[in-house]
Amino acid sequence: MDFPKRSKIKPLKTPDEESIDRFAPHNCMFYIVPPQNDVSLKDFEELAIERLKLLRILEQAGLKYPKILSDEWKEHIINELNLEGLKYFVRLIKGNGNTDQDKQSRRRDYLSHFILRFAYCRSEELRRWFMAREMELFRFKFSALSSSEIKDFIEIYEMGYRPINDEQKNEIRQELQNMVTGSVDNVDFYKVNFLSVLDLVRQRKCFLKGGYAYVSSMDFSSIIGGHHQKFIEKGLMSHLKLLPEFENDERIVGIIKGLHTSYVGKDYTVNKEADIPIESLNQLSLKSYPLCMRMCHDSLRTTHHLKHGGRIQYGLFLKGIGVTLEDSLRFWREEFTKNIEPDKFDKTYAYGIRYNYGKEGSRTNWSPYSCMKVINTAPNPQDIHGCPFKLWDTIELRSKLTTYGLNAMAVQDVVSYASKGHFQLACGRYFEAVHETKLDEGITHPNAYFEYSQIIMGNRLAKEKSTPTSQQSNFNNRKQVQMNKQQEFKRKMDARIKEEHDFDEELWKLSQHEEELLTQWKARQDATQTEISQIASMDWNDDNENVEDMSQIANYL
Amino acid sequence: MPEALNGEEYDATQLPDYLRLYYKRLFPHKQFYRWLSYNLSEDGIFTHREFSFTMQDDIYIRYLSFENQSEMEKEICAKIPHKIDIGAVFNIRPKNHRSNPNIKPMQRELVFDIDLTDYDNVRTCCNEANICNKCWKFMAVACKVIDIALRDDFGFEHILWVFSGRRGVHCWVCDKTARHLDTKGRGAIADYLQLSMSGGENSVSKVTLFDKQHHSIRRARSIIEPLFNEIIIDDQNAFGSATGTERLLKMVPDENCRKELQNLFSTTIADSKSIWSTFVGYFESMRVKSQLKPKLRHIIEEVQLAMLYPRLDINVSKGTNHLLKAPFCVHPKTGKICVPFNPNLATKFDPTTVPKVNLLLNEIDTFDQKNTDATETPEDKASRVKDFKKTSMFKSTVIFEEFIRKLEQSTKAQAITVSDKRMEF
Ligand code: SF4
Ligand SMILES: [Zn+2]
Repeated sequence: MDFPKRSKIKPLKTPDEESIDRFAPHNCMFYIVPPQNDVSLKDFEELAIERLKLLRILEQAGLKYPKILSDEWKEHIINELNLEGLKYFVRLIKGNGNTDQDKQSRRRDYLSHFILRFAYCRSEELRRWFMAREMELFRFKFSALSSSEIKDFIEIYEMGYRPINDEQKNEIRQELQNMVTGSVDNVDFYKVNFLSVLDLVRQRKCFLKGGYAYVSSMDFSSIIGGHHQKFIEKGLMSHLKLLPEFENDERIVGIIKGLHTSYVGKDYTVNKEADIPIESLNQLSLKSYPLCMRMCHDSLRTTHHLKHGGRIQYGLFLKGIGVTLEDSLRFWREEFTKNIEPDKFDKTYAYGIRYNYGKEGSRTNWSPYSCMKVINTAPNPQDIHGCPFKLWDTIELRSKLTTYGLNAMAVQDVVSYASKGHFQLACGRYFEAVHETKLDEGITHPNAYFEYSQIIMGNRLAKEKSTPTSQQSNFNNRKQVQMNKQQEFKRKMDARIKEEHDFDEELWKLSQHEEELLTQWKARQDATQTEISQIASMDWNDDNENVEDMSQIANYL
Repeated sequence: MPEALNGEEYDATQLPDYLRLYYKRLFPHKQFYRWLSYNLSEDGIFTHREFSFTMQDDIYIRYLSFENQSEMEKEICAKIPHKIDIGAVFNIRPKNHRSNPNIKPMQRELVFDIDLTDYDNVRTCCNEANICNKCWKFMAVACKVIDIALRDDFGFEHILWVFSGRRGVHCWVCDKTARHLDTKGRGAIADYLQLSMSGGENSVSKVTLFDKQHHSIRRARSIIEPLFNEIIIDDQNAFGSATGTERLLKMVPDENCRKELQNLFSTTIADSKSIWSTFVGYFESMRVKSQLKPKLRHIIEEVQLAMLYPRLDINVSKGTNHLLKAPFCVHPKTGKICVPFNPNLATKFDPTTVPKVNLLLNEIDTFDQKNTDATETPEDKASRVKDFKKTSMFKSTVIFEEFIRKLEQSTKAQAITVSDKRMEF
């Protein structure tokens, strides 16, 4: 049995009303004082995953509807939150309230934010991603507040801003009228130093006079958002400093380390529904494979070899679509032995394939890679695996897509998404072009890609357990699906997050003969290590007042 | 004075000789120091300021800094730089930058750079480096629009406008708030002052206006519209050529209207006045018939703004670390002095008669000769400090001194008031 080194699990004490009122006094809240209460490991994990889902929904919404706060953007988020069973976040983005439900919702919001700080303080890139999502959430929440709710908000946080009075209003009535629809009389205006609303200044969205900006309460979010951003930025740095203390606890490390790249959608570990004969793979690869897998397949067929990273990526994918272990072994052997002796194959490569199916090593049934995982791998130039939309330059991508028969417009769309770093959108557009249909879902997993394709082609019936439901990829049964998923979800999540993390380590041990890769990986580890320690040794100058509060967090684990 | 320096024509090869005398006798070292020392109201404000010298053959020396006025004056007179640039105030003395890799800019005037070459697609009188009184009007408009926005909207008071010596202007905003802006703040102000000219078809700049117009845009229109006929129609005759009318047509975001206008133009006399009145008349009649599409509702104003609204080089304004040529430098190609001018009288400023270094030196000479009866005494030597008063540089120096006087008042005031209590949250 493997006991954690420090046993700090304490029963969950619900923060009492008083402390919620104090630390989370408004549905639209600043995250200033970290929680002082104990949170069980179970809650810790659950909250982390819920918020991660929320942030991913925000990310997806932004990719789909780049105009933040547009109606489509909002609607998309609310729908997705409802589907995921995150109703309490929906409550929080619909204005302020003070019912028990509001307070419960605020509590989850408040705790989950602070928990995710641990997962996202670790690197500049993670911090940036987290900040961007949190700011979107805040802007959404703030945009729902009425004039009087905003006034409350400002009072609660003692920000000292006061709306200008009618007399002042009248002096500049015409200029103010220019900034709002409807009558000036129904809107509060605030007079602030122009420096605190630079975003509005930049866009000429406020009236400026003598260095002061006159801002309608609707546009006030820019100012408040500025404060919010500062709190989170500082907070992340404080969390980073606290991190070493938590790294002693393996369970927490297990939760927070792989969180960002963990996949929280459908589980593709084993496919019990289908049995795919390997003879059909060539055919399938043309239409039902995403590009990342098609590349592996084509390369394997033509060169009769695939490097280590490719073998894992593609091998797990095959398992996920329903190729049995026996078939898999046959498939790889047939190809490899065109170049090497069968004996060598059995000695060197068969192990890895059985390993993918959980028949060797730790005997874990490994999950196929999600897009996040594929996209985030850093292959060598001569490697085949990884996400082509990320790895290929525009010229290469354009010519490949054209060879595959995509029309010029589709090629242009795909290339432009990819060049902006929206690899999964590029992939989705590619899917649409290949299947000549619209795809409502985003691509988040190569196996999901495969599944959508099969359903559209009528080869696979959408079952309750799988996400898509109709031939037209009209996935409206999702609600039901989501509920089932929810139940399964928790059980699997425990294993999952840790698994993704361990997986690499085991495999790297396994592949020791591929020396270069190992050294490379180590170099990468070292690099991250130094990066972390560099950040950790930074000067914390004006941040000291927070640190004391932050250390309290230690008590709730 | 050496014979060779007495010519009327500016001769660039004589520059080193001119400069040696100019720095010694005319350059306003004292005022220069009074400006950049800001009453020593902040730590290191002068000693940590970066200067850079451009020497003969474009040798560029960065990270110079001086302890005080006399050191600065001594260095300038000894090195005789062809050009002096002013950079940021750093956290350390820039001259020590090698031993301290953590050098970073702490403050810097907010600066703007407007150059006539950015107007080459609307000016027909001159091109490239050349300038005449007609094209100066573009600068005068820009100066007016920017100056009033900086003062009225942002509340800045200490603004110095300087002729850049050839074909543009520089603007230095020296208020404390302006000096302490970070990159984001500078960027926001620059964007505020800039009209995004979406490159319409074939890189014709196109401005898009909406029904609700920000007060700064309406104010700019009220400056620009009355001058449009004079500058664009009369002076520049901008639509008098085929390329000119073509450019005008390209600003119309509607295929149909473009065709109809083209037809109308082909039967119009090809001078700017007729073309423009046909253009205006066409849209006016559509408006009367209520056939004007919403996107064309502001087409007339859009054209006017696109042609006359200030065209800033905003990258200069956005950085805190950008070096900009100091006032009172001599432009090495033209010999003209980079003189400050009064933004309220910008239209009266004549870039073609800006004093040239060779003539200034002549003027001192003549002045001194007239007063030969006075024998050379120590008092005379002292009076040399005021040599510029004998020349046509006098006016610009007065403008500069007036600017400094106001600046000093405010920095003195700042020293005694407790720093603004801004809500720190
Ligand atoms: S987006 Fe995902 S499925 Fe598509 S190619 Fe990239 S990794 Fe594969
Ligand atoms: Zn000219």
